[in-house]
Amino acid sequence: MNLTINEVAKCLNLPLSTLERWIRQGRIPIYKNDKGCVFKKSALEKWAVTHNLSFSFPKEGVERQSNSEMENLLPAIKRGGILYDVMGDDVKTALRSAVENIPFLPEDKKDELYETLIERENLTSTGIGKGIAIPHPRAPLSNVIENSAIITCFLEKPVNFGAVDDKPVFVMFILLSTSTKIHLHLLSRLAFCMRDNSFVEFLKTSPCAEAFFAKIADFEKQLDKAKT
Amino acid sequence: MGILKSWRHPAGWAIFRLDDRLFLIFVAAIVGICSGIAAVVLNRSLVAIFEWIGQFRHYWWSFVLPAIGAALSSLFLEKIVKEGAGHGVPEVIYSVSRYGGLLRLRSSFSRLISSCLTIGSGGSAGPEAPVVMSGASIGSNIAKFFSLNDRQRVTLVGCGAAGAISSIFNAPIAGMVFAIEVIIGEWKAINIVPIAIASVAGTEVSRMLQGNRIAFSHRQFNIDLIDIFACLGLAVVAAAASILLTRTLRFMSGISSRFSSPLWLRAAAGGCVVGIIGIFLPIVLGEGYHPVKTMIEGNFSQGLAIVALAALAKIVATSMTLGWGGSGGIFAPCLVIGSLTGLAYHRGLVLLWPSVSWVNEGCFALLGMAGLVSGILQAPLTGIFLIVEITGGYNVILPLIVVSSISTSLCHYVEPASFYLKDLVEHGQLLRPGTDARVLADLSVFELLEKDCITVKQNMLLRDFINIVKNSHRNYFPVEDEKTGYFLGMIHLDDIRPYLFNSGMYDVVFLGQIMNTEVEVVNPDDELSEILRKMDANHLFSMPVVSNNKFAGMISKATLLDQYRKELMVQTCD
Repeated sequence: MNLTINEVAKCLNLPLSTLERWIRQGRIPIYKNDKGCVFKKSALEKWAVTHNLSFSFPKEGVERQSNSEMENLLPAIKRGGILYDVMGDDVKTALRSAVENIPFLPEDKKDELYETLIERENLTSTGIGKGIAIPHPRAPLSNVIENSAIITCFLEKPVNFGAVDDKPVFVMFILLSTSTKIHLHLLSRLAFCMRDNSFVEFLKTSPCAEAFFAKIADFEKQLDKAKT
Repeated sequence: MGILKSWRHPAGWAIFRLDDRLFLIFVAAIVGICSGIAAVVLNRSLVAIFEWIGQFRHYWWSFVLPAIGAALSSLFLEKIVKEGAGHGVPEVIYSVSRYGGLLRLRSSFSRLISSCLTIGSGGSAGPEAPVVMSGASIGSNIAKFFSLNDRQRVTLVGCGAAGAISSIFNAPIAGMVFAIEVIIGEWKAINIVPIAIASVAGTEVSRMLQGNRIAFSHRQFNIDLIDIFACLGLAVVAAAASILLTRTLRFMSGISSRFSSPLWLRAAAGGCVVGIIGIFLPIVLGEGYHPVKTMIEGNFSQGLAIVALAALAKIVATSMTLGWGGSGGIFAPCLVIGSLTGLAYHRGLVLLWPSVSWVNEGCFALLGMAGLVSGILQAPLTGIFLIVEITGGYNVILPLIVVSSISTSLCHYVEPASFYLKDLVEHGQLLRPGTDARVLADLSVFELLEKDCITVKQNMLLRDFINIVKNSHRNYFPVEDEKTGYFLGMIHLDDIRPYLFNSGMYDVVFLGQIMNTEVEVVNPDDELSEILRKMDANHLFSMPVVSNNKFAGMISKATLLDQYRKELMVQTCD
């Protein structure tokens, strides 16, 4: 198999100018014919082994993943759905009844999710103040769910969550993500929304799904604008 | 038609496609033959000119003959072929280490003609260095003709040198060893095999054209243990003579360069002095192989004082010829001075201990030659093999090795760089393969350039800059002028750290106020060794590269190490 000079440079992870110099100096095995240089893959691989150099095609998959845009807040919130009037008198019962009501979760996974949420809650409260809590498992849940989701739970009555400002929590966003990176991404976007006091007031009215999604979409636009 | 087209790419022929080393051996044989012929031509024309000039030798004005020869040779080099004076070997080594052995075609004959003029007219110099230059240039240009790469070209330059030395001395091993030890400096099979072939070809050419004769044949010597001990003293004397010759040569060229008169006039002045010395001691004139012959045969009749004086006179004459602008090599004068030194040492021994039965004086003359050659070139193997081959005297090998190695060590102690390499070492241009200097010289700044830095403008607000910082993965940010695009300074992440969490500063601070303008910058043409020295002196890890006032990229030790390692691996293993 013959390669082009650019491919060889990539395989050896070299600047093109170095490769050109190596060819000129005769340090790398190539064949010359009337048309120019011929790079034989097998010969180059053999040469690389004897010279302790690594010779491999760059992995394109890794690059593509890092370049792809990460999912935003709105699809995750839509996927998670909204639960109204979630029952419960304390953290445990509130979380229990919320988890029981998550529609897309299979029955046998609900206990597991509940356990991990409580485990995280025992470390420190996820109540971030202003009556809002963001319960989430510590480790990503890639084996339970396929896509990240945020379940919005309006509680029937405010619950003492042990939040940072000691205010009782009236709404929980259960944040389930498939990787730590997405988790942080969604968390930072959610936190951006929560900074806005008018949004908190809006949440206190237990808004309907359309109005809520419209509001989130609004925030997302602001975020994207700030970024560019 | 296909054959016609492919004849300049013989590497593509079926037989050579198996292995390009085979092809190199084939070309090496051609190079060896060509440089062998060049050596024979020089030798023949030298003899002819020397004989023709000889008929004027008895006139009173004969002392100006070397002056005319040296002036003509200098004029020829300076005005016609436009090359520097000197003997050419350092130029070959320089080209091998810096330009992959690239030499001009005219070098293949220019030194032959100029050294013919100098030596033929009586100047004290040798024909070997010019013929080495010529052979090397033949090798280089044959490589260029076949569009070979640098590495193969260097090998062929070595082949040319080997063929030339082999042919002129009828000494194949000496040619081979000289090319590898002095010219290439890399003992690897990939060089040795083609060079050996070229030596064989060069020697065979000389044997076919001139017959298989040994330059300085002699009788058997019976060497006793006491003679070997005496050799230790000879080695010291030979080393002293080598150092004296090296120093005088440098001293003379130092004096010569102080005069503002044209080069040919200086060469003529030097030649005049040689001519005057030659009136009293004709032994100093020309390459001087004839007296060497009589000395080795043991027929040199003059006494100790005359011999010692002749040795000194030869040193002065050689320095006057080569140092003042004549053209020629140091090899032959070394042999003459060496044999005179050996002879003088022997006469001294006989004077001090007349009762001891020393070995024949010819043996000491021969050992003295080895001591001088090894000392001047600081190449012990070349000295040993050359003397063994030109004298056909394998039976003196033991004292020969002793004298060569001791003389080399002593000279190396006093003059760390040999006569050929001194100038190159002083200018940092001796770059043997696989050494730190060579790796750094081969890598260029452009190959190490990191272009993933984000450039910012000097009138940018800190707020905008922080957004850029969020998306970057480098800590350095070059600052440019909006209008001209000129590089103004650098911002390191540390520079903005104090303001990073103070959002009040975001909209009041411009980058032009934060940036560091006192940065050490690198020019793309800078030598890497110089850049590294700068980095070490300033405790820097990376530096911006600025070309034509514009930022071109960063250069950092991390990338350098990566490339340096690759370069070293590619240069050192085969």
